[in-house]
Amino acid sequence: MPDQPASLIAEGLECIRGERTLFSNLSLALREQQCLHVVGANGSGKTSLLRIISGLNRADQGEILWHNETIVNNPRFFKESTQIGHKDGIKNELTAAENLAFYQQLEGVDDESLVDQYLAQMGILRCADLTANRLSFGQRRRLAFARLLQPIYKLWILDEPFTGIDVDGRQLIENVCLDHLNNGGMIVLTNHQDLQRSLLGGHLVELQL
Amino acid sequence: MNPLSAIWNFLYRSFHRLGSPREFYKISTYATPIFGLLFLGLCLVGSYLGLFVAPADYQQGESYRIIFVHVPAAWLSLFVYVVMAIAGAIGLIWRMKMAFVVAICSAPIGAAFTALALVTGSLWGAPIWGTWWEWDARLTSELILLFIYFGVMALYYAFEERKTAERAMAMLSVVGIVIVPIIHYSVEWWSSLHQGATVFRDGGPAMPASMLTPLLLMALGYTFFYGYVLFLRARNMVLHNERKSKWVKEMFTENL
Amino acid sequence: MNNTFILFYRREWQLMFRNTSTLVQPLCFFVIIALLFPFSLPAENELLRRIGGGVIWVSAVLATLLSLESMFKADFQDGALEQWLTHPRSLAVAMMGKAFAHWSATGLLLTLFSPVLCLTFRIPTEQIWVLFLGLLLGTPSLSLIGAIGAALTVTLHRGGVLLAIIILPLYIPILIFGAGMITQSAQGADIAGQVYALLAMLMLSITLAPFAIAGALRATIE
Repeated sequence: MPDQPASLIAEGLECIRGERTLFSNLSLALREQQCLHVVGANGSGKTSLLRIISGLNRADQGEILWHNETIVNNPRFFKESTQIGHKDGIKNELTAAENLAFYQQLEGVDDESLVDQYLAQMGILRCADLTANRLSFGQRRRLAFARLLQPIYKLWILDEPFTGIDVDGRQLIENVCLDHLNNGGMIVLTNHQDLQRSLLGGHLVELQL
Repeated sequence: MNPLSAIWNFLYRSFHRLGSPREFYKISTYATPIFGLLFLGLCLVGSYLGLFVAPADYQQGESYRIIFVHVPAAWLSLFVYVVMAIAGAIGLIWRMKMAFVVAICSAPIGAAFTALALVTGSLWGAPIWGTWWEWDARLTSELILLFIYFGVMALYYAFEERKTAERAMAMLSVVGIVIVPIIHYSVEWWSSLHQGATVFRDGGPAMPASMLTPLLLMALGYTFFYGYVLFLRARNMVLHNERKSKWVKEMFTENL
Repeated sequence: MNNTFILFYRREWQLMFRNTSTLVQPLCFFVIIALLFPFSLPAENELLRRIGGGVIWVSAVLATLLSLESMFKADFQDGALEQWLTHPRSLAVAMMGKAFAHWSATGLLLTLFSPVLCLTFRIPTEQIWVLFLGLLLGTPSLSLIGAIGAALTVTLHRGGVLLAIIILPLYIPILIFGAGMITQSAQGADIAGQVYALLAMLMLSITLAPFAIAGALRATIE
């Protein structure tokens, strides 16, 4: 659908961290079914850009529009977008199921069968009643992604989603991302390796920082 | 255009001009010496009138003359806090760089006025009350104000990232402005429970004009001194914050 | 379960039951601090009775302060805070839920335990109830105001001392009226004024502090 208008637009973004200007006059546009791959060396501002797009930080210049409205204090944007950074927002003291249930309740959904369904989809249903500190890194990562399966989210913002997980896990997450894109979703992600030959290849837009 | 909206437009424009560090630097180049001269003139006249012209107090003799240092310092300690909190709020709401600079540069000046008020109060108390420290309401709330100033400054210097430090410090000074009056009245209430009103008394003896004039002159002089030091500090901070920007670089290469 | 306050309040309790040390430690600290005073003072019952109320109040303030540092630490470190910051639910209401959960686990617990401490200080029964009422009305404000400081220092590695410096001066009015109640009632005077003052401060904290907490988090997490 090339004639469809872009849902996420950024214009003239500038980010200054302490002494350094990480990027300036950066613009981008993202349509449904597209996956934006932010490419750049360590310290080039990938994480900062993702934090700005997710609304956590404000850009020093420029603005971001979601369906032609600024994302600042925009409840619609915060409702339809979600992010997973280096920190996954999972509580060590709670079980996998409890962690997921909280994030569902946060979206106003209280349905235990959905929790099980999402856990099964990520292949960690057998860990449902383990507290999160007993999960392996890969299982934890899958649990973090189980949260994204809620249909309310249109835009996923993922900081290095493929680090530290095995081949199977990566395959699974790529598949989940592909489904999301095919259902009209959007993804912004960073990753160190090239993604052209991954499952997402057909949906990729690259942005060099 | 009616005159009211013309005034409003002028204020609005100057507010925005002052909001830009570069414009602030330009304007303050002229304003700083004016504030300095006003401070010097007012305080010289005020000191002369206060120390040589005003009559001695019939109870306290000559020692009361410390009032011309002590009272303006106490007034300014509160005034500076109010300026700091308002500037902090402006910075938080409109994300204005200069407002944060004004707030941060005010904190040490306000703390210095507070300390001056406390020290001169203590020096005054020694001969009059016969003690260096009294758990009097005003002394105590002034001491707490000093701690709040310390807290605001400590918070600012605890952060590495300047923007975070600015916002955190501004937030704390705004919270403080709600609580400072409560602290003041609670301390007053607490103190009056323990002891009757001492030397300070609400609506105390009216002051003759020969004493009031130098006091007001000194207070005005102190205010200009605050403005003067604030400009000096803010100009320094603006240069430091904007050292990467073109206009600062150009200014310094031109002067070389 | 669509109420933000209840959602966050419940979640805090769930976490505290899994990690019971957060429930026990402030209470232990409270008791130990209060019991240090008799050891450092002349062993006179009359003196202890007179200062007991103030000592218990200071201990409650310090115990609250101690538990504040960890209030947002875990949520910051595991990224939960960032999820809430980018969520359409009201951050202020969510943080009010968190602050009240904090109060239930510290202030309320201390209040419930305070009569036992009063007995060791030989405080007469009618004053025990006065102290109990004062703590009940004052400690929620301690949690709410303290949460602002906790939010401001959450990203700092060594925020503990700084937290004390910025928060303790703000606690003074609550301390004055809370401890003043006991002094007043010991003299047989009316305590209504202090009760109203504590209530007023509680109302002010409930209405304003949540917004300050949310603002402080937005200011420092960015």
